[in-house]
Amino acid sequence: MENVIELQHIQKSFNGFEIKDLSIKVKKGFVTGFIGGNGAGKSTTIKMIMNLLQQDSGTISIFGKRYKGNEKEIKQRIGFVYDDNIFYENITLKDMKRIIKPAYKNWDDKTFQQYINQFDLPLNKNMKTFSKGMKMKASLAIALAHHAELIIMDEPTSGLDPIFRRELLNILHELMQDETKTIFFSTHITTDLDRIADYITFIHNGEHIFTKEFYKIEEDYAIVKGTLDLLDSETEQEFLAIRKTNRGFEALTANKQRVATIFGDTVVVEKPTLEDIMYYTKKGW
Amino acid sequence: MLNLILKDVLIQKNILIIYIATIILYLLVNVSPVFIVFVYSVVFILNAFSNDEKDNANILLNSLPYTRREIVSSKYIGALIFTGLFMLYTYVVNFFLNEQEVVVLWKEILLTMGLVMIAITFILPISYKFKTKYLTIVAVALFGVYMVMVNYFVPNFDGKVRALVQKFMTLQDLQLYLFATVIIVFLYVGSWLLSIRIYERKAF
Repeated sequence: MENVIELQHIQKSFNGFEIKDLSIKVKKGFVTGFIGGNGAGKSTTIKMIMNLLQQDSGTISIFGKRYKGNEKEIKQRIGFVYDDNIFYENITLKDMKRIIKPAYKNWDDKTFQQYINQFDLPLNKNMKTFSKGMKMKASLAIALAHHAELIIMDEPTSGLDPIFRRELLNILHELMQDETKTIFFSTHITTDLDRIADYITFIHNGEHIFTKEFYKIEEDYAIVKGTLDLLDSETEQEFLAIRKTNRGFEALTANKQRVATIFGDTVVVEKPTLEDIMYYTKKGW
Repeated sequence: MLNLILKDVLIQKNILIIYIATIILYLLVNVSPVFIVFVYSVVFILNAFSNDEKDNANILLNSLPYTRREIVSSKYIGALIFTGLFMLYTYVVNFFLNEQEVVVLWKEILLTMGLVMIAITFILPISYKFKTKYLTIVAVALFGVYMVMVNYFVPNFDGKVRALVQKFMTLQDLQLYLFATVIIVFLYVGSWLLSIRIYERKAF
């Protein structure tokens, strides 16, 4: 299967923060959710993918090409939505369109107008009067208006009300009917991913923990609950993280089948949510 | 590239009318066109620059299909175009206002262009390396130095500057103009390349 984004052995350090040997692949034609706690390195990774930041070492290729020498060609095919405001505050959305439109070969005014109507955005009001959600909608309309093959979004749902959040997910879902499109987006609202993500990439402390198909996560991972007397130094090895209370323990495993054979009926095995996985990985215990 | 230059006009379109009106005002009170064009060009270029900085627009521009080289080059090429346009406008208005035969001296054009280019040569790399707010601090400090110099060390400083300009305008030696032009162009291109180098290493 073709990879749209490939990060290989990426190393990047700032003061007090480090991305260590990060390798990620994003498959063409699918939605990949990019999760991790605050400060895990999600935004930094996205900035490196967009060539806003340069890695210290390692290679990044987008559509199978490196940025050096292919920057314009690659960016023609990417649509982006960021968490921060990136618009000039003192001009209108109409002017903003005037600035952005000539940059893209495939700009489609009709599509743009259609999304502007759908999102109820005012064309003649200054960008500074836009709320965070409106700016996000404007970014999305722009990203969709030039028929980008790859849409990269950094926390797109963080400033949105639940109604538009769902609407956004519907739009993305519709978009994915076209098999040539790829979506890569970071979020920490993991319930968003239940609806549309095909793959989940999870990073923690600048390290890649896993990239898995969504349904596989439920097959592999499990929350195990039982009494404390079941735990000893050997059985504890089976878990990624264990939380002990005086009533018993709760633990996360990455190998559901194995745990089931070891403990049998003595424990309760539950489906983990992405939040459970993030929580236990972060805490470690 | 042209889009990036037009963008610098578009983001200032609300204050464009102020630029246009105040130039007329200054011409009415007989401020020298050289001075007007120089100040307005530099202010215009820097204002566009600080808008990019203030509104995170660098993230936008770098996410659009432009190379960093193009983004920097648009500033340097734009600077020359904007100066040309301010010059054209100022001389045309001056012609109508003063109803006199305004002799547009090529020396005056050269002087104005040269001054703007020298200013941009120093300002842009500093702005790319640091933030424009540091530039303001530098400007205030330089103004302080200027005032001290004028008041204590060089009596009649303004007069001397005026005399120097006068001398420049009446110089007959063509070779000297050519020499000055070559040096300024050389500095400008050097500054341009330096800015590209700085900007290419920048993180957003």
